[in-house]
Amino acid sequence: MPIVHEGLAREFEYVTQEEERETILGQLEAGDALMQEMAYSLITGNHAAVDELTRKALDKGRGANDVLDEGLISGMAVVGVKFRDNLIFVPEVLIAARAMKAGMAHIDPILSASGVEPVGTAVFGTVKGDLHDIGKNLCIMMLRGAGFVVHDIGVDAKPDEFIEAADENEADLVMMSALLTTTMPNMGRTIAEFEDMGLRDEYKFMTGGAPVTQEFSDDMGADGYGDNAIACVDKAKELLQAAKAASSG
Amino acid sequence: MPYEETMTPRERVMNALAGLPVDRTPVSNPTNVATVELMDMVDAPFPDACRDPGLNAELAATGYTELGFDSIQPYFTIIQESSALGCEMQWEQKDNWPTVRMTNPIWKGEDDVVIPAGFLEHRDMVSVTGAIEILKREFGDEVAIVGKSMGPWTLAYHVFGVETFLLMTVDDPDMTMRIMDKLKEATVLFADAQIAAGADAICVPDHATGDLVSGEYYRRFLQDIHTEMAERIDAPLILHICGRTLDRMPYIAQTGMASFHFDSRNDPQEAMDAVDGGIGLVGNINNPQTLYSRGPDEVREEVYACLEAGVQMIAPECAIPLQTKLQNLLAIPDAVKDWSAERL
Repeated sequence: MPIVHEGLAREFEYVTQEEERETILGQLEAGDALMQEMAYSLITGNHAAVDELTRKALDKGRGANDVLDEGLISGMAVVGVKFRDNLIFVPEVLIAARAMKAGMAHIDPILSASGVEPVGTAVFGTVKGDLHDIGKNLCIMMLRGAGFVVHDIGVDAKPDEFIEAADENEADLVMMSALLTTTMPNMGRTIAEFEDMGLRDEYKFMTGGAPVTQEFSDDMGADGYGDNAIACVDKAKELLQAAKAASSG
Repeated sequence: MPYEETMTPRERVMNALAGLPVDRTPVSNPTNVATVELMDMVDAPFPDACRDPGLNAELAATGYTELGFDSIQPYFTIIQESSALGCEMQWEQKDNWPTVRMTNPIWKGEDDVVIPAGFLEHRDMVSVTGAIEILKREFGDEVAIVGKSMGPWTLAYHVFGVETFLLMTVDDPDMTMRIMDKLKEATVLFADAQIAAGADAICVPDHATGDLVSGEYYRRFLQDIHTEMAERIDAPLILHICGRTLDRMPYIAQTGMASFHFDSRNDPQEAMDAVDGGIGLVGNINNPQTLYSRGPDEVREEVYACLEAGVQMIAPECAIPLQTKLQNLLAIPDAVKDWSAERL
């Protein structure tokens, strides 16, 4: 159904890129009025409302995947666009993430029990010497929402912890975050340790974090870089698709 | 014409901070320039150099004696006050910065915010004030001694945790303001102690960065507090905020602080335009790419861009990666001198 929620319609106007408008509108219009209310509540950080609306939708028999896509991911996509375009900042993203978490608390157990094949498996950590985790946590939430299995190895993760977690979990992706210019070089050192162990080609490496740039990521020898949580998910999917194409081709 | 300097480094820095004429643009990193190479040179490694006044002074002095910068900064990190407030610390090794374990915050709300008795006597505070006393005796007439005192926003990240604190700013902005008011007293206390020990100027890092919060947040939560600090603290203040800050520079320019230390993600000319003469600027050589990964030629290029824009003091954008090559740091004063000579 078209967007009938006035607040949501206003929020959607912040999405200006044509391709994004098409994708997000498709998600929003796939939902009913309840889903639109949920998406709006998520965008505005009303976690109590998202909690209640998610429960209500599931009680009404809506599928967990539908609620996730139409009510939560669609709202988070608008949040991601606004964040990327500097219309909102981290506090506003955090309250939206808190709302998403409230909804996911109902959805996660259902999805876990359903045994759906994951899109990919990642280990994700903040590199050695860096104890910041907001960016990492936001990316993990979006990746999980997009169907990835993500093993969070926390902050101050040393290269051998990345190596061990990637091996134990048979990861496809090794994802590294840093907030400090002083710790960013540890991304390159982590990749170098994989190389030293002869494991460089076993995984795709991604970097991100406020001061990290595509150029720096390339310097560190990573395969991909995400400027924000949405870009992180897109790049992760792209790398996996390319790897699959290469292995099948 | 041969290049001749007519001012001491101290005069050069203090004049630049006061907006007065200088013989050449000073080179001064208000955060610091410690590297592993410098630690090895004077046998003053991290974390001991952060906790012992003598080792601290030894390492800090290398910024002048080995690199030829115009100031000395004896506070290498952003964690000394947080240690004294009781935060859980991760002191690390020589090749890594000590950090606060913000994932294990010590405070939950407004009532917890109490500056403990003996705050200034804590060993991690004395390591700075003691180092300043040593440096003042050894270099005080010649080189500017720049102290550092964390602002309330940065302290709040440490004591509450970044995520909890940022959520608090949305959930209860009034309480956030009351907390800022209480925490700013820690900033003023430590700044005053460093001035009493001999500091010529104080850097105030307060990380309300554009990577986390809006310029409007800066105006709403910090502009008045920074203005008050500039009035109460009896030395030139240098505000430091990492990341994108162009949108808040016009507010920062109104605080009465002497200078703003800005990040390489802000173009020097755009930054000069944004502050519009309301405050001096210090910066902004890129750390992770230029100083850490590139060579002296690229450093020189960035120094020249800052000088051409009219930036009043030249510095790396922030504390530098500890493995930064000395040749890249040495390239900064060399480039400033060459640029000055070329314009004689």
